[in-house]
Amino acid sequence: MEVRLTSEQSLLRESAAKFIAGAGAKVARGYRHQSPGFDPARLHEAGELGWLGILVPESMGGQGLGLTELALVLEQAGRGLVCEPIGLAAISAAALSQERAPHPMLQRVVSGQALVAPALQESAHGTDIAEPRTRLTGADGALRVSGRKMFVCADGADGFLVSAAGRDGPALCYVARNAPGYTLTETQTVDGRRLATLDLADTPADLLAHPPSRNAVESLNNLALFALSTELLGVMDRAQEMTLDYLRIRKQFGKLIGSFQALQHQAANIYIRTESVRSLVYQIAANNEPLGIDPALAIAAKAKASEDALAVTQTCIQLHGGIGFTDEHDIGLYLKRAMLLSSLLGNAAAQRRRYAAVARLSA
Amino acid sequence: MFRRDTPAEAEFRNEVRNWLEANLPTALRGRTTRPPPEELMPWYRTLSQKGWIAPHWPKQYGGMGATLNEQIIMTEELARIGAPHLPVQGLNHIGPILMEFGTDAQKQKHLPPIVAGTVIWAQGYSEPGAGSDLASLSTRATLDGDRFVVKGHKIWTTWAHHSDWMFALVRTDPQAQPRHAGISFLLIDLHSPGVKVRPIRTIANDDEFAEVFLDDVVVPAENLVGKLNDGWRIANALLGHERIGTSNPQFALIALERIKAMAQATGVIADPAFQDRLAAASINVTTLSALFSHAVELTNHEKSPGPESSIIKIVGSELLQSLNELLVEAAGGHATADRPFHTQFGDIDAAVPYLFSRRVTIYGGSSEIQRNVIARRVLNLPS
Repeated sequence: MEVRLTSEQSLLRESAAKFIAGAGAKVARGYRHQSPGFDPARLHEAGELGWLGILVPESMGGQGLGLTELALVLEQAGRGLVCEPIGLAAISAAALSQERAPHPMLQRVVSGQALVAPALQESAHGTDIAEPRTRLTGADGALRVSGRKMFVCADGADGFLVSAAGRDGPALCYVARNAPGYTLTETQTVDGRRLATLDLADTPADLLAHPPSRNAVESLNNLALFALSTELLGVMDRAQEMTLDYLRIRKQFGKLIGSFQALQHQAANIYIRTESVRSLVYQIAANNEPLGIDPALAIAAKAKASEDALAVTQTCIQLHGGIGFTDEHDIGLYLKRAMLLSSLLGNAAAQRRRYAAVARLSA
Repeated sequence: MFRRDTPAEAEFRNEVRNWLEANLPTALRGRTTRPPPEELMPWYRTLSQKGWIAPHWPKQYGGMGATLNEQIIMTEELARIGAPHLPVQGLNHIGPILMEFGTDAQKQKHLPPIVAGTVIWAQGYSEPGAGSDLASLSTRATLDGDRFVVKGHKIWTTWAHHSDWMFALVRTDPQAQPRHAGISFLLIDLHSPGVKVRPIRTIANDDEFAEVFLDDVVVPAENLVGKLNDGWRIANALLGHERIGTSNPQFALIALERIKAMAQATGVIADPAFQDRLAAASINVTTLSALFSHAVELTNHEKSPGPESSIIKIVGSELLQSLNELLVEAAGGHATADRPFHTQFGDIDAAVPYLFSRRVTIYGGSSEIQRNVIARRVLNLPS
């Protein structure tokens, strides 16, 4: 169903669609196994378009916009398999701008000259987001973090937003790349991108929110879950479109295969899943502040988007038949992007476990 | 979950809630099946006297002239208190159809008794040979001077055995191609000679619907709605709107609470495998809420979702079924009882809502037909 937009929002969507016309499967293929796996000049361009500071207050050089605008850009990024880490930068910028005095990295992140990535996950399922095992020691001004962060999108990053347990509970802090006691181990992902394990041993850090608060960690996590859900929406939306086009031209048994009811019902099912995630994402966007998303809603969105994006892209491959199983065909790139995004910060099953706790379903 | 009441809407909600608490008889609350007319119609008339029976009707026809948001508030508050389902064929179907397509005489004759609750209507669409393929219907209406003579057989007609009138689709041109071009929309007095109604017992063990035999029933020509052979368009004109109303997530939220209470009573709530299924169900209820709010928002801005509203029918009905399946799972052995299970969280019936919900993916266009609609009319796949 159509999402109601203001004229400014429609223009933003158009400009994001124009940007991704320069991306797409062919470009994404070119960045497989490259380092960095994206074009820094394009990230800079996204910064100039105002997208990286989309959630940052105008007084700090951002756009001061909300989740709907973020979603409009990230949905297009998902559609275009964009490799530039627009979502990572935009949510990190939001976290860097929550203090009265902006963090020194903020301006460079907003302009796309530097990249800061969240590092919140510590295990395969990310179920420890709210209670990190990474420790924060020392006093303000001489803080140190020690611990291990996993599945960090570290490619091209100049620094990280690290969650750590301090004396008064979880806190969010900034750690610069290559700070003392810092080790980064990268692994290739199934789609030719890279994720990293970040080992920190008495590494210097700055506290991002004063006083340190659990809220800073959870609000960034919820925003990240929302951003990932939105990008997954774009991935499934474009994969569905490609598949419907194929059903309209491919002939077997002397007929267009899109006329067969068995395939029509599968097409209807992927449409239902895509539109469900669309309504969920944009209704959350319209009713929540970027750093104040209702945790149950953020978790629900990530659970649903992760499950549905995999189901949709898997079905898209099935509907393409043999050609869909080849590396040469682009549809597989959408499945792989869905695999990556749906696993980050916890897959659908992990989100359901968190949901059961947050929504108090176990008592 | 997504929509928030304005201060005026919150005040209206409060007024509705307080009035329902004071006026809805306790015996009618939380019933899993529809009570018989002798119990139900006095409540219908109480709502009517309050002026609240037809929130979506314009004031000139005795309705409330409520905004869509106020209508939703009304539905939600009725669901919250566990109010019984009213007969809706008059209020939601023939009423709005007559407002749009009826003559002045038809409106004057038929609309006031619907509001007053003195006449009950049935919908005569399906036939033994015409279910999903409704356009193949064969009940024949032959025009003979100033009257039609109707012969045929209607089935799955909700509450026909309690109804006074039936609006029906009848074949007036057997040669027409395509077939739906030969169908007309007729109002039939069920007290006429030649009408025989037989109730049909459902798997939920109630007499929710019936079949209607029409044996040369004489219907005055003035009971034709719209033009001759234009019945198909009339019957389909108001479909999308109705789908939004019946998919209010409040029903799913109530079903979810019932599952939680049952799972607490039987102890299965402590099982992580069950919790996973409950979390998935709850996330799906959140999703339905989002779809519903989205559709309401579009309708409020005169961009009614049209054929896309098939999504809401599919998601809403399949979700309600899966929730009742989970209720049966939570109930374990208690699901087999033919009466409510007494728990410290109240009396909970599992079998009846489960059995009753099997119909929601069949009526009003089955899930399979809805998927055909999406494939052809929304996704433009070839035929």
